[in-house]
Amino acid sequence: MKNTSSGTLQNRIRTLRFLNGEMTQAELGNKIGVTRQTVAAIESGKYSPTLETAFRISDAFDVRLDEVFSWSRH
Amino acid sequence: MAYRERVAWLTVSAMLVTLVPFFALARSGRFDLSELPNGGLMVALAIATVAQVLIIGAGHLLLRLRFRSDASEPPDERDRLIERRSTRWAYYVLIAGVVLVGVAMPFSSGGWQIILAALAAVLIAELVHYGLVIIGYRRTV
Repeated sequence: MKNTSSGTLQNRIRTLRFLNGEMTQAELGNKIGVTRQTVAAIESGKYSPTLETAFRISDAFDVRLDEVFSWSRH
Repeated sequence: MAYRERVAWLTVSAMLVTLVPFFALARSGRFDLSELPNGGLMVALAIATVAQVLIIGAGHLLLRLRFRSDASEPPDERDRLIERRSTRWAYYVLIAGVVLVGVAMPFSSGGWQIILAALAAVLIAELVHYGLVIIGYRRTV
């Protein structure tokens, strides 16, 4: 997770991939136009995607953005 | 490991194994750095450059064969961000080198000392660039 002074960006991508037929990181990457490594970085919280990519991810899972990403205050 | 990180490792390795020995040879005292042109140093530089090109060329070929699908993927937003950040810092290093070599050194040095300093500035800037690319992929920004 990416740490800042005020909070942490969290995501449910791993869970959503599981719920969508164990979609692979490469398959999700192909759907949203990023590499498998970038999906892995987003999923592990090491990279915060652009707003456009975040929307693409939620669209790929057919859920709302706040069902994928959430902001956790410290 | 991301394909572009592999390419960065390849480039850094090629630069280190070819240009560092060249600089070590040039600074070993076997050549008169005030002499221009210096045939021996020019040959050594040519050998180092050709060796670098061959290593990078062969390395690219092997990487493309080994990671065919990764190699064909266009850069995504994370790749572009890492490239942008590393290029920016390398640019600062290169500018500092240019100021040192082009503005300060002509008052105190000459001949191959200036040429070597210019090459060193390019080498250091490239090492900073690819080094930051590697760090960028390791830390993922």
